Order: sequence, then structure tokens, then C-alpha cells
Amino acid sequence: MSATTTERGQAAGRGSARGTTATSAPARGGAGRSPRKRSDIRAGYAFLSPWLLGFGLLTAGPMLMSLYLAFTDYNLFEAPEFVGIDNFTTLFADPRFLKSAQVTAIYVLVGVPVKLAAALAVALLLNAKHRGQGAYRSMFYAPSLIGASVSVAIVWRAMFIDDGIADQVQQFFGLPGGGWVGDPNMTMPMMILLAVWQFGAPMVIFLAGLKQIPAELLEAAEVDGAGPIRRFISVTIPLLSPVLFFNLLLETIGAFQVFSSAFIISGGTGGPADSTLFYTFYLYIKGFTEFRMGYASAMAWVLVLVVGIITAVLFRTSRAWVHYTGDVR
Amino acid sequence: MVRTRTTTGKAAVHATAIAAVAALTLSACGGGGNAATTAEAAPVATDRDIELSLVWWGDDDRANRYEEAVKLFEEKYPNIDVKPQFQAWDDYWTARTTEAAGQTLPDVFQMDLAYIHQYASNNQLLDLSSQVGVNLETGDYDETLLGSGSVNGGQFGIPTSTNTLGMFYHQDLLDELGIEPPAEGLTWDEYDAWLREVSEAGADKDPQVYGGTDYTGALWIFIQWLVQQGKAPFAEDGSPAFEKADLVAWVERSQPLRDDKVFFPIQRAKQVEPLGGMQVGQATTEITWDNMLAGYAAGAGTENLGILPVPTGADGSQQFWKPSMLLSSSANTDEPDAAAALIDFLVNDPEVGKIFGTSKGVPAVAAQKDAMELAEGSIDSKIVTYEEEVADLVTAETPLPGEGYGVVEAEFKRLGEELAYGNINAEEFADQWFQSAEANLGGE
Amino acid sequence: MSETSYPSPTALGAGTAPRADRDHSSSSKARQRRRTGSVIFHVAVLAIAVVILYPGVWMLMSTFKPNGDIVGNVNLWPETWTLDNYVSALSGIGGISFWTFVLNSLILAVGSVVGVVLSSTVSAYAFARISFPGRGVYFAIMIGTMLLPFHVVIIPQYILFNSMGMVNTFLPLLAPKFLATEAFFVFLMVQFLRGLPRELDEAARIDGCGHWGIFRLVLLPLMRPAVITSSIFAFIWSWNDFLGPLLYLKQPDTYPLPIALRMYVDQTSISDYGAQMAMAVLALLPVLLFFVLFQRYLVDGVATQGLKG
Repeated sequence: MSATTTERGQAAGRGSARGTTATSAPARGGAGRSPRKRSDIRAGYAFLSPWLLGFGLLTAGPMLMSLYLAFTDYNLFEAPEFVGIDNFTTLFADPRFLKSAQVTAIYVLVGVPVKLAAALAVALLLNAKHRGQGAYRSMFYAPSLIGASVSVAIVWRAMFIDDGIADQVQQFFGLPGGGWVGDPNMTMPMMILLAVWQFGAPMVIFLAGLKQIPAELLEAAEVDGAGPIRRFISVTIPLLSPVLFFNLLLETIGAFQVFSSAFIISGGTGGPADSTLFYTFYLYIKGFTEFRMGYASAMAWVLVLVVGIITAVLFRTSRAWVHYTGDVR
Repeated sequence: MVRTRTTTGKAAVHATAIAAVAALTLSACGGGGNAATTAEAAPVATDRDIELSLVWWGDDDRANRYEEAVKLFEEKYPNIDVKPQFQAWDDYWTARTTEAAGQTLPDVFQMDLAYIHQYASNNQLLDLSSQVGVNLETGDYDETLLGSGSVNGGQFGIPTSTNTLGMFYHQDLLDELGIEPPAEGLTWDEYDAWLREVSEAGADKDPQVYGGTDYTGALWIFIQWLVQQGKAPFAEDGSPAFEKADLVAWVERSQPLRDDKVFFPIQRAKQVEPLGGMQVGQATTEITWDNMLAGYAAGAGTENLGILPVPTGADGSQQFWKPSMLLSSSANTDEPDAAAALIDFLVNDPEVGKIFGTSKGVPAVAAQKDAMELAEGSIDSKIVTYEEEVADLVTAETPLPGEGYGVVEAEFKRLGEELAYGNINAEEFADQWFQSAEANLGGE
Repeated sequence: MSETSYPSPTALGAGTAPRADRDHSSSSKARQRRRTGSVIFHVAVLAIAVVILYPGVWMLMSTFKPNGDIVGNVNLWPETWTLDNYVSALSGIGGISFWTFVLNSLILAVGSVVGVVLSSTVSAYAFARISFPGRGVYFAIMIGTMLLPFHVVIIPQYILFNSMGMVNTFLPLLAPKFLATEAFFVFLMVQFLRGLPRELDEAARIDGCGHWGIFRLVLLPLMRPAVITSSIFAFIWSWNDFLGPLLYLKQPDTYPLPIALRMYVDQTSISDYGAQMAMAVLALLPVLLFFVLFQRYLVDGVATQGLKG
């Protein structure tokens, strides 16, 4: 992804595999040919065995199995019964499935950009060298660490309930009162606020990216008469684009997986009126409370396809807007 | 050639798939024959140590009561050690399903009418009939009540108690509003009118007080309403015996109340969960199972709650007993004799009756019922008195739900919420519920 | 916001040298600008800090308020202080001690740390330091799993563990940690190893070390920062994990804190916000402690993750 290097990387990077792109990781150290090579192969597989075992048993195997299950009717009690594409046709006629897809889509499409915008804005603010910057950075990061916990979900619920803090703030500004928790139109904003509250992690990454931007470039632009906005758009954003891309990818994938906060806030129902029925949540309900494992597997594979397409699109379009400096690919 | 290639390709895929699921089918298919546990019943062994698991759904209050009861049981059978455990309703059933799949259901566990068919027909439960007269006495049971625990001729559960629907009212709230509780024997339409009256009177209270909570989304209340019209809710195979039109009529009859915001609003209801409108002192009535009264009193912080029969239909109340808190045992238990003895103790022992009171409903066995200490005006005495009084009104047979009832009941409730939010109309309610019923109810 | 970060060129004048702004001995005008810039910075940052911290502080302070005075009370400072909430939180649920839940959480978290450290360091060494055919492909797959929605594996994994009778044990939650399925940690360590000079390996090789020796004696000690960062993340993630225990642990005496907390919310017949909050705070305590002690490692860990992608 990004090819920017840190100071440590620059200091010690000579000997290390710099081309960090996965597939092109060059087989270095190939100096001492065959006897060492053979022992290297043995050692390689030995050292990699935990990961290989885990990948085979807990990722690849299960993926194949769920692909098979997606075409079956299976409830844990009786042997899976092959049903063809029935699960998929039922899926797209299931109003609750469509609702869960819609809820998740809104969350991803609104939540992620807002969160990233907040992260970038605060990162820019903190990037100006002032005292206390490090402390603020840590403080702002803290919510990312606990945001998905049950504890925070409980607090969030309490804050957005009737007469809760959000309600009182609304009433203070003369807005119509009422808690958000019971209003299907307000639970999504509430969930998105919870996501935005955790802007710290992408902010830290942005901040690190900003520090990599050579001050000379910004100064040069300034000399050329570029205003702050112009400099931001023409210098900062392009140079930051690898980091932006990375954050976008990570946050998008993360947003698809939200579960525990919705579970706690809705009391395990996905309500009110299915307004917090996130994809993961519905899959949980189908798979682990109704035990329709085939149906849930079909849902999982639909999601894999969707996420796969989104990732592919992001990578494709990234060629147009992500600028890599240094190593030319 | 092409043909061969595709078939072998398919076969290969199939073979891989089979290999992939081999592990799971091994255990999952074991549900069939449980010959090991059909051995003759013999009196509980006293010469060796026995360990029993006992699992129920409920809250910490029930946990304390069970703990006391178990202590008594262990005094009676010093060689038996009971390991109790509990979960909340939803978790309880996911946990049991998992165990069922792994053939590891507890030795003794609470069962509900909504699930007994599913578990029994999957051969997960111990047929207790062979234990009757050996370790388990059912002589004090009413035949039909005991029948609720039998599936296809086997006795798979023993009901602990009976419930019937009732209408709770919040006396303190009504006093504040200066309104009398609803008259006994009023019709559904009269009840609705009464609700309107209360909600209007309570409109300027802070917080606003409503006549009652929306009863439309409770499947059991709908069933009660059907029974009052002389209709059977379920066919032999467990599929719905009523028409879509019946369901539409049910939803539409209460629609004006929703339109005019007479019911305790769903927005509030969702926020006070797991409490109800009555428990937070903002709704004056609620229709639910009579054994819930204790919980409502605890939530409302007052024992000054009353209980009345449900509104009547054309031929009176036509209420029915719902056998509740059945006790079942796993088909795979190593200790069927001891398990049966524990069930026997829990349903028959008078001391246990005293411990639980009416918290699980009115005990099914007279000895337990008589052992209860009923303080004047206490919750227990209110429920017992109610069930005695209402006995004349209980004229209908218990509609026994079949396999899959648990899922469609949850769907009914969910649709009730959608309805309350105004997201669906009566037609859509009926359509979507019947869709779920088709997928989940009635045989294969 | 960018305007507070960078000095405005209009104030500098067209002919002024760009260096002027950075020069501390420059005109008083510029110094003044810096000061106002600093004030604006601190005001803005403090405002954000208030918004960020409010929920946490409110939660903490709520636990010292009487139960009836929590939801509607916007004020942070309790009017009357009470420890009742902690007393009821610590009294456990339905006969199960609060400390049972803590112990379960601890076993899971410590087990996760051990598993992650053992499996990730070893796997990372293979990826970063041993060249063997197929390594590139495996590495690509490993990165790919980071992008894979976990949904696709939870059902078969569940079926697998269930068929082995491992539901209601900690094994389904710990086994993946010992098998390096969390690609994030492997990746973090690979990146760290790549930053260590190869000359170290060569020197050790000349001294007669094999791969195990190089790994164990030379690189592992140097990997300490990466190991610490991974350990903290592994601990916190396990400590906060909800879905995993929800799926695999069905018996209350095996519950870790998040599930116990959820049971507490569901099962108390009267809404006891105070005790809920108190338990929530207690559940977060170790995480916050780790954060205070190791914030640098955490924040730097996140920062490197983004840069070395």
C-alpha cells in the first residue's frame, strides 16, 4: 500500500525487503544457494506452521464449508440438505435481509466519510506544532480503544434515552424532545455518532502521514503564492493519499462488521423497527438464534462478494487518486 | 466427453463438500436412536454419588428460589449433587439448541410449550412415562394438564404450574386520575373505549399516562381472541388453522387506537425495555400471563396492582390454562432415574411449593398449592384468588402450539412493533407473518 | 481548520522570505500571530477534548450518584456521593461472583496474549527472514485475510468447534490466537522485523546459529517493542470481545465480563442504572490502566500500521 518509510525504516532499511507489496516480496538473501536453500524451505514451513495450520483449519477450510452450506438447508440437527440456490432467492425476497443491507449501507456510506473527515480535520489541527500535542493525540485516541465495548454501548444508550443528555440538549435548543433510542429515525445518527466518536485511530494514522510531508514542499507552494486551501488540496491531499486510502479501506471493512454496540443498544433485537439490524446482526439472528446455518452462510457469502467488489473498486480507482512517492511502481 | 467432465467435476465438488461436513454430520445425525437411555426405570441409586445438571430461564430472584429448593432436594438425597445454572429467555434457547446439536442437554431443564414439540420430535428428550410410578408421581395431575407435556404418546415434559391470561391494572395510577378500573366482563370494544378515556385523562400528566400497552403484537392474546370466537388456532400438524382475514381483522380492530395514539407509545416502550409501560408507571393496564404479576409489582415499586379477566368475546371470556414451566430431561442423560426424582421433587414437594409461591404460576399439584403461605393482599394470594375466580371462565381447551412456535411468536411480536411504528399495515402484517408461519410451522 | 495550522501568506507579504515565519527572532507581528494561532489551537483542541471525554467522565461520575439520579442528570459532579452502585455491582449476578467473570476475562485475555505472541513472532520471522518458494503467495494471502469479512468463517468454525464438543470451553476463543489467525499482529511484526538490519542475521549465522538461534537469540529480544504493542492490543481486544464469547460461552459461570454485563442489563427486574454503570466502569478499568501505562506503544503501533502498509 503506502511506500513511505519511517525514520527507522530509512536508517535500517538498506538490507530489508523494501518493496513491501505482498506478491513482489523479493526472495532476498539468496546468496548461499542450494544446501542453505533446502534448509531454508524446511525452516520456512516450520516457522510458518502455526499460521499455515490456522489458515487451513480456521479460514480456508471454513470458507469452503460455508460455501457448500450456502447451498443447503442445515439446522445443526439433521444433515445438510442440498437446496440449490434457494437460499439466495429467498434472501433477496426477505424484507428483513433487504432492511439489514440498507441499514449497513447507510452506516458505511455516511459513517465512514464523516469519521474520516473528522479524523483528518483533527489531525491537521494537531499537526501544527504546539505544546501538548502528544497528550492530545493519546487522549483522542482513547475512544477507539473502548468504543466497541459493551460498557460504552451501555453509556451511549443511557445518554440518548428519554430525558438523557441528548434529549436535554435538544430541548435546550428548543428542538422537539424525546430520546433517540426509541425512534427508528434517530438510532442510525446515534450509531454514526458512536463511530465518529472513535475517530482517534484513523487520526493517529493521518497524523503520522502528515509528518511525512516535507515542509519544503509546502513552503515552495507558499512561495508560488498558493493559499492555505490551495496548498491543502494540491500538496497535502495528494501526499496524504496513500494514508487516506489505507484508512478508507480499513474503516470501510470495519464498518461492515459492527455488532456489539448495536446488540446492546437495541437490547439484542436490532430494533426499534429493525433500524439497527446491521448485516452481522441479522446473520447472527439467522445463524445462531434460529439456527438456519445454510441461510446464514448464504448471507456471509453475499457479504464476501460485496466487500470483495468494494475492495477491488477501491484498489482500481486508487490508481487515479492515490499518489505514491519515493518508490516508483 | 463434456458430460463426463461435468459430472466428475460435480462429483469432486460433492466429495469435497461431504468431507468438509463429515465431522458435523457425525454428531448431528446421532439424534436418531437413543437406545441407551430406554433402559428400565429403577429406584434412584443411593449407593453412589450422582451429579445432575439443572438449568432454567429466569432472573436472579428465581435463582435464589431454585437454590433453596435444590438444597432441600440434596438433603433428601445426600448422594446427589445438583449443579444449577440459568440464563435469560433468549439466551436460554440458543444455549439449549447448541447443546441439543451436541447431544449434551442438561439432565433436568425447564421446557416451554413453544419448544417441546421441536425437541421431542428431534428425539432430544427423555420419555418419562417409564419413570411414572417409579421415581415420578403424577397421580395428582389433571389429565389434560399432564397431556400438554406429551408428544406422540410419550411423556416428554411435566408442567410445574398453570397460567392464564389476565388484565393487570395499576390502582395507584388510576386513583390519581380518578378513574375506576375497567369493569369485569367488558368486551374488547368496551375495553378499547375505556383505554381512550384513561389516555385522555392522563394526557396532561407529566410524564403522560396512557390507558394501556398495545396488545396487538402478542400472539397468545390473538389466540385468546380467536378462541373466544370459537376458532381453533392450530391444525393437527401445528400449522395455523385460521385465515389471513382473521389476522387482518385482529390488527385492524385496534388500528384506530394506534392512529389516535391511545396506547403507550412504542418509542417509550423501546426505551424502558426490559420493563413495560405499567412498570414505569405510565400505563394503567396490560394484558399478560397472570404469574407475571410479581415481576410487575417489583418493577412498578408497588404491590397495589389488581388483576381482572381478559375482555370477553361473543361467548364470554373463554380463557384457557396454559401449562407452564415444564420440566424435561435429556434423552442422553446418564441418570434418568435421578433426573426423574428431581423433577418429581420440584413438582410435588409441598416445601418447594412454598418456596416458589406463584412466581412460576399457580402450582399444578394441589399439595404445593396448599402449602403456599398466602398473606392477605400479597401478590401470591392475588394470583391464586384470580385463578380460583376465573376457573369458571376457563372453558376452552388449551391450544397446544407445535414445532416452530417460538420463531413465529417472536415474528408476531416484531411485526407488532413495526405496526406500532406505522411501518406496515394490517395486510402486510398478515402477509409477513404467514410467510414466517409457512416456513416454520407444521411438519416438513 | 487548515487555516489555523498554517501561517497565512497574506500576512507575510509577497516579498518576505518564507523562512521568516519559522525564525523565532522575526518581527513582533509574526510572534503575535503565532501567539493567537496557539490560542486558537488550544481552544479548538480543548473543545474537542471536552466532547471526547464527556461520555467517559459522565459514566464514571454516574457510578457515584444515587440510582434515580443518573439518566436525567447532565451534571458531572454528583450532588450526593454513594458507593452503593459498586456494592451491588460487586455482589455478582444470580449467585455467581463478580470475580468469576473477572477471572474468566483474565484467562481469556492472558491466553490470547500468550497465543498471539508465540504464533505471530514465529510466523513473522518466516515471512520476513526466511526465503522459500511460496512465501510471497502466503504473504499475500495473509494480507488478504485482513480484508476478509469474518462472517464467512464464524458459522463453519462454530459447527467445527461444536462437533468437537468445545462449546462452553475457552478453546474456540483461544485456539485461533495460537494459530496466528489475527493477521494484524503478524503484519505488525513482519514490518518491525523488516526494519531490523539483516547484518544481524548474517553475523549470527557466521557464529553458527540456525534459524531458530537467529530468531530466539538475536531477533526476538530486539522485537520487544512490537511484542509489547501486540500484547497490549491482544489483551484489550480479548477483554472487550463480545461476539466470540456470545457464540461460544453459554453457561453463566464461564462468562467473561462483557457477556456478564449484558446479562446484568437484561436480568435485573428493576432498572438499576447505577449498578450497570458501576459494572461497566469496572469492566473498562484494566483497559484504561493499560492505556495510561502504554499509550505510546498503542498510538505508535497504530501509526506505524498505517504508514508501512
